[in-house]
Amino acid sequence: MDDANESPAPVVADGSDAQPPTNSRRRRLSRRGFVAGAGAGALGGVVAGAGAAAAVESGDSGGGSSDTIDLSLSVPFYTGLHQAGIQTPPQRYCVFMTFDLVSRTSRDLQVLLARWSAAIAQLMAGRTLGAVQPPRAGSVASDTGEALDLGPSSLTVTLGLGPGLFRPDLGLSHARPRLLEDLPRLPSDNLDPATTGGDLSLQACADDPQVAYHAIRDLARMGRGVVNTRWTVMGFGRASAGQGQSTPRNLQGFKDGTRNLKDPDEIDQFVWVRDDVDWMAGGTYQVARKIRMNVETWDSDPVSDQERVIGRSKQEGAPLTGTAEHDTPDFSARQGGQPVIAPTSHVALAAHENNGGVRILRRGYNYTDGINPVGQLDAGLLFIAFMNAPEHFVRLQRRLGSADLLNEYISHIGSAVFAVPPAPRSGHYLAEGLFD
Amino acid sequence: MSVPKPTRISAALGSVVVVLGLSACGSGTSSTADTAGEQPGGVAEVAITLAGDSGADECRLSPDSVAAGPVTFTVTNQSATGITEVELLQDQRILGEKENLAPGLDPVSFTTTLGGGTYQVYCPGAGTELTDFTVTGAAADQGGSTQARLKQGANQYGAYVDTQTAAMVHGVKALQRAVDSGDLAAAQSAYAEARPYYERIESDVDGFVLPGFPATDNHGNLDYLIDMRASNLDPAVGWHGFHAVERDLFGRKQITPSTKKLAAELTSNVTKLDHLVATLTYKPEDLANGAAGLLEEVQTNKITGEEEDFSHIDLVDFAGNLEGAKEAFAYLEPGLRTIDPAMTSQIGHRFSQTEALLDTYRRSDGLGGFVTYTAALRHTDANQLSQSVQALQDSLSKLAEKVVTA
Repeated sequence: MDDANESPAPVVADGSDAQPPTNSRRRRLSRRGFVAGAGAGALGGVVAGAGAAAAVESGDSGGGSSDTIDLSLSVPFYTGLHQAGIQTPPQRYCVFMTFDLVSRTSRDLQVLLARWSAAIAQLMAGRTLGAVQPPRAGSVASDTGEALDLGPSSLTVTLGLGPGLFRPDLGLSHARPRLLEDLPRLPSDNLDPATTGGDLSLQACADDPQVAYHAIRDLARMGRGVVNTRWTVMGFGRASAGQGQSTPRNLQGFKDGTRNLKDPDEIDQFVWVRDDVDWMAGGTYQVARKIRMNVETWDSDPVSDQERVIGRSKQEGAPLTGTAEHDTPDFSARQGGQPVIAPTSHVALAAHENNGGVRILRRGYNYTDGINPVGQLDAGLLFIAFMNAPEHFVRLQRRLGSADLLNEYISHIGSAVFAVPPAPRSGHYLAEGLFD
Repeated sequence: MSVPKPTRISAALGSVVVVLGLSACGSGTSSTADTAGEQPGGVAEVAITLAGDSGADECRLSPDSVAAGPVTFTVTNQSATGITEVELLQDQRILGEKENLAPGLDPVSFTTTLGGGTYQVYCPGAGTELTDFTVTGAAADQGGSTQARLKQGANQYGAYVDTQTAAMVHGVKALQRAVDSGDLAAAQSAYAEARPYYERIESDVDGFVLPGFPATDNHGNLDYLIDMRASNLDPAVGWHGFHAVERDLFGRKQITPSTKKLAAELTSNVTKLDHLVATLTYKPEDLANGAAGLLEEVQTNKITGEEEDFSHIDLVDFAGNLEGAKEAFAYLEPGLRTIDPAMTSQIGHRFSQTEALLDTYRRSDGLGGFVTYTAALRHTDANQLSQSVQALQDSLSKLAEKVVTA
């Protein structure tokens, strides 16, 4: 959950996924003519919408500046390169939902992907999906309306295709992404079928939770009859840092994502697929895990033990062998004959130095499902990660699931894997190459 | 469960003929304006191109005038993310349409025979939503219009409702006889046999008010007197009807003098309903709203298991609601098919899917012909039942607008 992967000191702004490599070091968001409502001031760090109607390049966000929120920003959809919502600096909220294909014809899937693509483009631009108040008598609204006037809020919607889409009866098995198959059973897996799997995934992240939820709701509505809803998690409080963002904390109170992949060159190396089927060029793989935390047990554990479990200090987030968050952990350091960072600590098991250099891009969010039947807080981490081979996650989780001291406090209760196609160019749709 | 089925309407197509066609061409949207759309075969070709490259989505026609006769409209969504459907209108009436448009999909077309006059192409979501389209030549014969077909269907639906209430009178009389005989098992069986008739037509309850009673007085509300559940009782009127009988037969499992009184009263009220519905008339949009409303009933009361709290024959009611919705749709179908055959077929397909799913719960030895809808079954199966019904309800909820505009 924490701390795979060293990152070099934060460089410039992020690379928005969306841009060609030459541009990839600049955050390309456009600002619509949007004035944040009065309520916006209640959110810390919100920049009330400036009215500039022209698109701007906010090549900003060096240092901590991208921790502020500007609800008028939008992220482009039709880039023809990588889908947004992967390398895009994590927004504050995220709704993740998976679906089962119930139609038996690939034509229905094709039309749905085309309609979803157009709709996602509309939503990311802060537009509605047609009329909220239709002019004709007897009409149902084509857009449910709850995001009207909330601004684009940097919404990104990221589509994933599950292994089930490539079953023989749909006629798409020839196009199966090379590395797409169900994850193997992993140590400590405690998976609930109700929060596992799916033929399609939608990840909608935004700086306003209602904008994210509206996107998922209206896309699910559009899919009815072709796809059934399977499972969903509503995430808050991004639990991974993107480039230029300060490291946030997960619900265990520890910084999460200190060593996340941030540098665009490293993301090119570890995230985007190589040598896959043609239509996946610029794509990646997504692993989603719903990880329940035993909140009460964790909270009653002394901080000194929590630090031993994680391998980092709680407040600063420094490795136990260092003093500052971004100090490189020294896994060989010993004190009194014992390793300073326990080999079974979360940091040690997840670190790329100890995993043959394997790194993944994490993009997790905290979640809560309320209170469980015995009165405990039901909460945890929606772990989402992107990588150019799902096997990289498998390799990390085999070690973590077997030996992580953290396993006493967490349980992996949901899981799914998806191939994430590249973004379409204008006039095209997501995964169009599947149907060639 | 055997019901007198009404006769389906045979669609006699009039002068406006719409046929579905998928254009074979790839992205060929080149203009045929030079020839004013005339093609050698006598069918005029009109390209409707949707594009969103310049900010607002546009809906372009080429050519915008053709001679009277058959016209094929080919719709290509090049890059307009905000437009998902296109309609051909005349005097605010829909003559044809295409839905599910999105950039990247192959062009789709529809053909319709048009007489001289002014039409509009309606592209909801475009910067300019209505674009005029002119047909030169003689005006078309207006007979056999879509609207007339829909009205005819609505009239025939009225006859269907009459058959259901007539059959219901027989059903509740059989229930009353079984109750009077004191045979609990026979009465339970008769209860289940009588239920579907009401469930097929309960979307029409707005009209089920006895003459002379205000709509707010449940003493004159036949829906209240026939079908009210314990959860929604009006203390001023008390509990009457099917579900009060159900409580005795399945909850208390005994037939008392009160049960016999309730059963007799039910016969009396259903007989009043049978007379009342003969006076009711229906508009096409009533059928559309009614079909969607019956599926809403399935979602809110049957899949939750609230309707048949004692007998758990909720799947029998589910089947009744579904059959009633399908009948209402069937009467609209000839008219709807002229507007949008693809949409009409899709709804028909979704009916079939939901029916096929429901059929897996049929048991010849089950009460009312279905398995008992227990809490355990609900726990495992309600999700897929609900999602199937929701897909159908969503499609039907869009019909009223089309029907009103047709």
